[in-house]
Amino acid sequence: MKRRTFVKLAGASAFAGAVSAPAIAQGVTTVRWWYHYDNPQNTPAALIAKFEQANPGIKIQAEAIPWGGGTDYINRMFSSVVAGNQPDCAMVRLAYLSRFGQMRALEPLDGYLTKWAERSDISDDVWKLNRAPDGKQYYMPLHYVVIYLYYRQDLFQQAGLQPPKTFDEFLNCAKTLTKDGMYGYGMRGGGGCHDNWGPFVLGGGASFDKGGMLTDKALAANRFFVEFATKHKVVPPSAPTDAFRQIVDAFKAGRTAMTIHHIGSAAEMVGALGDKASAVPLPRGPGGGGWTYFGDESNAIFASSKVKEAAFKWVSFLSSGDGNVEQAKLSGQLPITTSGLKNWTGHPKRFVEASFASLPIAQTLPDNVKTPDFVGRVLPTNLQRALLGETNPDEVMKAVEQLFHG
Amino acid sequence: MAPPPPGTAVQMNQAAIRTLTPYGFLVPALLVTALVILYPVAQTVLFSLQDYLLYAPDDARFVGFRNFSMALKDEVFWISLKHSAVWVGGIVFAQLSLGLVTALLLNQSFWWRGIARALVIIPWALPSVIIGLMWTWIFDFNTGVLNDLLIRIGLISQPYAWLASPQSALACVMLALVWQGFPFFAVMILAGLQTVPKELYEAAEIDGASEFRQFIHVTAPAIAGIVATAVLLRIIWVANSLDVILVMTGGGPGYTTHTLPLYAFLRAYSGMEFGYAATLALMLTILLLAIVWLYVRQQAKDLDA
Repeated sequence: MKRRTFVKLAGASAFAGAVSAPAIAQGVTTVRWWYHYDNPQNTPAALIAKFEQANPGIKIQAEAIPWGGGTDYINRMFSSVVAGNQPDCAMVRLAYLSRFGQMRALEPLDGYLTKWAERSDISDDVWKLNRAPDGKQYYMPLHYVVIYLYYRQDLFQQAGLQPPKTFDEFLNCAKTLTKDGMYGYGMRGGGGCHDNWGPFVLGGGASFDKGGMLTDKALAANRFFVEFATKHKVVPPSAPTDAFRQIVDAFKAGRTAMTIHHIGSAAEMVGALGDKASAVPLPRGPGGGGWTYFGDESNAIFASSKVKEAAFKWVSFLSSGDGNVEQAKLSGQLPITTSGLKNWTGHPKRFVEASFASLPIAQTLPDNVKTPDFVGRVLPTNLQRALLGETNPDEVMKAVEQLFHG
Repeated sequence: MAPPPPGTAVQMNQAAIRTLTPYGFLVPALLVTALVILYPVAQTVLFSLQDYLLYAPDDARFVGFRNFSMALKDEVFWISLKHSAVWVGGIVFAQLSLGLVTALLLNQSFWWRGIARALVIIPWALPSVIIGLMWTWIFDFNTGVLNDLLIRIGLISQPYAWLASPQSALACVMLALVWQGFPFFAVMILAGLQTVPKELYEAAEIDGASEFRQFIHVTAPAIAGIVATAVLLRIIWVANSLDVILVMTGGGPGYTTHTLPLYAFLRAYSGMEFGYAATLALMLTILLLAIVWLYVRQQAKDLDA
């Protein structure tokens, strides 16, 4: 081939490429979506295939992001926003909403939602809970969990105990069941410890309002919680650093008689212990107050996305009908739709009932830019020091108060 | 063609081109270095002088050296610095000792030496996260193999919370990193040992030197240069490493396994306080540069001698 002919051919093919490229881009829209599941072996491939079949013009590029107690996921999320490499949409939690708001990172969904026929299949309470302080709706609710108490039915029966309804009953059960190498309460003092600390301290009278961590009631509630380790010794010595994997494995191995987590670990518990594992709502405080963590999960669309329409089709597919039911199965959580919940068979009934029964005291963490730091650093380090007896328990409360209110 | 007469303009131009040409070749490398090293360093310095929060980048303001003065008053900075010193000193010393013994053993002649040399490199080849997870489960209170072994042989009667106890947590994480890093020393020292001429040992033996004396007067001087370089590299790597700590304890319990880079990481990614975290990182860099400077000065003295 002569040089001139080659150059002509190359030029022609480059031109053809340039002309055909937009046609391909117009034909298929790619939506990047970030997700995480507790069980990393679960994959949304079948769900995506079903969606793509119904929406031939849209391709979903799903990227699994490690959860890492929440810290890894959120780090990557905010770093990607700052770097301008965020996905089109992603699974998010209410605790991030303030930071997203400050970064003006999210697209309001109100315009899309008014035209969305499936909206009424999600209860108004959930929409209210997900609304941003500016009155707009940035989150599309996806599924949820409520933290409750796992307990060993067989051991309780043998000891003649009833599942605890109050803090004092809980302490009594934990004391009675701590024997022969078993500990009454598998406490989580490592990553994610807020969901163990909250029920006893926030449920015992503390609050995130200004001064709310330093009232007599709040300080007493925190001391009560810390004394499970320092005074009563009803938790394993490893409790200060035990995280999700350790508390679940210890319960499954029969090393603890009670532990605090949500329905996401029910399948594992039942797999190891069968009917011996059961669940009830968390106990109430001396004044009858209670608190448990409402583990919300939603999808949000980023303001920078060039394919917002397609992204909304995807996130609305995940929050409606069978799509929501399948998604809840993959995440191990509960469907957000009323219709999905009605016929839900994803978990044994007793765990679903314990989740519903916990709803009256379920709350989210405060919508504050400092909340991720509270969860990831301030509470774990200060609580661990108190649990080891290195500092006075009141220091935990001072540190939390200082973080939120200076 | 005849060369231009000396002292003419043409000859001076050629001389200038000859002088400048090497710099021209260096330009691409310098540009890449500036892009991947100098730019991030400059940005870190800039961040360290600002009140920079990652979730509010538009509100960042210049605060001068306030972050540095805050760090000096921060209790956790001093705790982390102390742990960093123990971390670097303990790990590098243990890795060097173990690596030296391993290298001396692998330098002996035995029939499965090839396999042994291949096996010893495995910990070095494993990713840090895998090592962190592996040792976390070895030390686990409820299901860990270490507690099981110690109970079986009767050394302890109850399982011990290795990673949750302030007395043992840092040592346990250090042990994991010693295990990961000693093959580096072993391989480096082994390479050095193989360059020592056999004649020197023969001469020393004829002079009646014991094996210990041979080690002190023949082996040690021969490998000193390699050991010094390896120690310097390991000090820098170990001082900066935080992945194994992050996986095994996350810095806990409390601040027990906080080191300076880990603390900087937590402030950066948990609190999103990039300004303060950059300050902490910069202070660690300055400390490491001081060590490098001492090393380079020592090397220069040796060369002069």
